Amino acid sequence: MSDALIRHEPVTETPFVAQGVRISLAPPMQRHTLRARNAQDLESLLKVKIPRKIGASEGGIMCLGPDEYYLRSQAGATIPTGEGLPVAVADVSERSICLVVEGPRASEVLMSGCPLDLSQFAVGRAARTMYETVEIILIRDAEDRFHVEVWRSFSAWLWMAMTMAARH
Amino acid sequence: MILIHCPYCDEKRPEIEFANAGQAHIARPLDPSGQSDADWEAYLFIRANPRGRHHERWRHIHGCGRFFNAVRDTVTDKFETTYKAGEPRR
Repeated sequence: MSDALIRHEPVTETPFVAQGVRISLAPPMQRHTLRARNAQDLESLLKVKIPRKIGASEGGIMCLGPDEYYLRSQAGATIPTGEGLPVAVADVSERSICLVVEGPRASEVLMSGCPLDLSQFAVGRAARTMYETVEIILIRDAEDRFHVEVWRSFSAWLWMAMTMAARH
Repeated sequence: MILIHCPYCDEKRPEIEFANAGQAHIARPLDPSGQSDADWEAYLFIRANPRGRHHERWRHIHGCGRFFNAVRDTVTDKFETTYKAGEPRR
């Protein structure tokens, strides 16, 4: 048995480029899901500001639900587990991968399968939603750049569906 | 596509993000073993099936994940209002 674990990505690492849109796999990162009834408990644990409004994001932390937050940070980053505090912190780094959809046609390609009106989806917003039948977390990073967080096992299909939409 | 107002996200979101979870405002009896068979059957299985205004639980499962209550017209499929779980019946 080999002692080295080899990283195997579920989609190709070669970016897909079509007219006005580029879809690529983001480098690995650390992902944490944070649950707390009071965001203040998380703030005192992490020493950063936690966005309160669902759909808002700040400093890599997005608020996905009334008591649910999602933190993305550099690969290898660690955070305190919050022992003794009424919070739940779980590392879910390998649960999902991130596809970066960018270019002037980025929102058009996403809206081929995502029912949100992305013209109303401001930069900095993040929301859990759907692309066709696959659950995603959509993050608007810039006017023409989106991050799509998707579970690994769904990502091959999502890649196929989005690149197909981008070809049209 | 129907847009449903999620009281937690406080915005209208597409219906495919939601899941219906049956009739709303059905309280579990505090003392199940003290129930007669008929009462327990009524609690478990007997549901209203109105033509028109209906109180339902919905879940924003592919969004914020929360359950909430909604008043929907079963004929027109129009949502009259939605409100947070635990709030009084509207």
